[in-house]
Amino acid sequence: MVLRTLAIAAAFSGAVVAAAQAESWTYTDGSGQTVTLDAVPQRIIASQDAAAGLIPLGIRPVGIYADSPVAEAKALEGLDLAGIEIIGQAWGEVDIEKAAALEPDLIIAEWWNRNAVWSGGENVVATLSQIAPITGVSAGDSIVGMIEDYEVLAQSLGADLAAPAIAQNKTAFETAVADFKAAVASKPGLTALAVYAGDDALYVADPAGAAELLDMQSWGLDIVKPQGVDATGNNYFETVSWENADRYQADLILVDNRAESTMATALAQPTWTLMKAAEAGQVAEWPAFWLRNYKAYAGALTDLTAAINAADPDLTP
Amino acid sequence: MEASVVEARASRAAALGLGLLLLAAALIAVILLSMATGARAIPVDMVWSALTAFDPNSTEHRIVWDLRLPRTLVGVLVGLALGLSGAVLQGATRNPLADPSILGINSGAALFVVLGVSVFGITQLGFYVWLAFIGAGVAMLVVYSVASLGREGATPIKLALAGAAMTAIMLAVINAILLTSPRTLDEVRFWQVGSLAGRSMDIALQVSPFIAIGAALALMSARLLDGLSMGDDVARALGQRIGLSRALAGLAAVILAGAAVAAAGPIAFVGLTIPHVARAITGPGYRWILPYSMLMAPILLLGADIIGRVIAPPGEVQVGIVTAFIGAPFFIALVRRRKLAAL
Repeated sequence: MVLRTLAIAAAFSGAVVAAAQAESWTYTDGSGQTVTLDAVPQRIIASQDAAAGLIPLGIRPVGIYADSPVAEAKALEGLDLAGIEIIGQAWGEVDIEKAAALEPDLIIAEWWNRNAVWSGGENVVATLSQIAPITGVSAGDSIVGMIEDYEVLAQSLGADLAAPAIAQNKTAFETAVADFKAAVASKPGLTALAVYAGDDALYVADPAGAAELLDMQSWGLDIVKPQGVDATGNNYFETVSWENADRYQADLILVDNRAESTMATALAQPTWTLMKAAEAGQVAEWPAFWLRNYKAYAGALTDLTAAINAADPDLTP
Repeated sequence: MEASVVEARASRAAALGLGLLLLAAALIAVILLSMATGARAIPVDMVWSALTAFDPNSTEHRIVWDLRLPRTLVGVLVGLALGLSGAVLQGATRNPLADPSILGINSGAALFVVLGVSVFGITQLGFYVWLAFIGAGVAMLVVYSVASLGREGATPIKLALAGAAMTAIMLAVINAILLTSPRTLDEVRFWQVGSLAGRSMDIALQVSPFIAIGAALALMSARLLDGLSMGDDVARALGQRIGLSRALAGLAAVILAGAAVAAAGPIAFVGLTIPHVARAITGPGYRWILPYSMLMAPILLLGADIIGRVIAPPGEVQVGIVTAFIGAPFFIALVRRRKLAAL
């Protein structure tokens, strides 16, 4: 009897030791799936947005697939990419041979719940998931929430969040948020409109579809919600003919800055200035969909705070 | 008897002249309709007052002037250029299926635009105009040089074959670039279909001198085309220098087609269909076919653009898609109804 108990205990403790040595790694991703690996993944391929979330926290992927040429990818702006292989430079495009040669343990992307797809699209996911399991945070309703999700993910991958540079970025961000809130509070009645400008039409953003706009709303900014957005479909904008550019009026216009040419396109439209804020020059950049870390967020907020402070809040009733 | 022939000819000329006047009136009506149609409901009297007594403080007046007028003007210019270049090309090559896309003009323009976007990262519509224009010219030069090789010079059949071969090569390069670069595809796919949307006054002004020169050359070449239509031997016997005639007409067609594709992208079927309709009305003389094509093509193009603007609100259907939808069945009906005139 005693012998038998000892034997079980020995077997049990042996199993515990084995598990500790292998240090298995588990993560439940934004789509609700759980990924379990035998060891903490070391070689990671990340989407550009995931890389923008992880690199500032000290987790460096071996490869990145971007949605555009890296020089134009806003999410990667200012990040040290030395030694990281770029395996894609257009949306939906990834070099499978380069990806396989990197021998990744894990692919980290983002889950876009509104269209039920991983960043990069179905083709990229189908390609990469043959090489390694895919996981990642959900592109949620708040950039702050996403950054916190990245902190959890990075910590599980071995990041030290207490490192001085990381803590410093967080403090700077908190100051920027406080300044932003103060600026909004000092301009009662100020409204904002977030748009993308194309040669064919003006696209008015639904704030409910953009995490940073939802953050700004929660900090007090009044953002106009367009009437004609189909929230159930793959639709983040209302398409408005340039003939109807004055359909929505606001005191401050935020222009999607994912592509540098968007602002030039907007300014070139003869009816751009039908919007009172455009006429008055109260136009700022909208860091659309790409913020993933405290440093970039603080920078964007500082610019927006300056624009709000300079704006006349009484252009529109 | 001599007198009655002269009389019949005179009355025929009068009828055709009257037809031209009616077409001009129809074109003006379509232009006014184009000025009055858009995503924003603007009453006709307001459109009229915008044109006659412009008030810069009126939103509606600004929309008429800044958006609808340039778009309409580009539509008229492009339509005119497509109709004339199609008629001239069909006459010069004696090929009833000749149009800018057969002689490699459209694919040359498309190739240069695609190269400009993929290699140099150009994204502004204003630069596409020049890329397309240069591409159209280069393609036509190459096609003409290839067709000129050999003893007989650039005969109609060799021109058509060289054009088809060059088109195939250039399309292969275009597809290779577009398939490997989704970013380029994304940039040029709107241009590639052909559209009048978002065309500014600058674009109209950039292409109008070329279209004016091309149209003048084309109208002057009517007599030469009549000569060519009798066959090279007869034309030569009548003392016509056929190589020179063909070069002159070809130059007019390239300038016109190049300007059209530069301003609106490659628009199909207008340049192919309209000359046949014109010929069905006027008979074989280019003195009448050319002006008829010149007036009918903008009516078709602007009409198609108006349909595209209202058919799928709040968006628009591009004019290149509408002309293909209207043009293709129309062309089939035309072919079935009467044998295509042997050129």
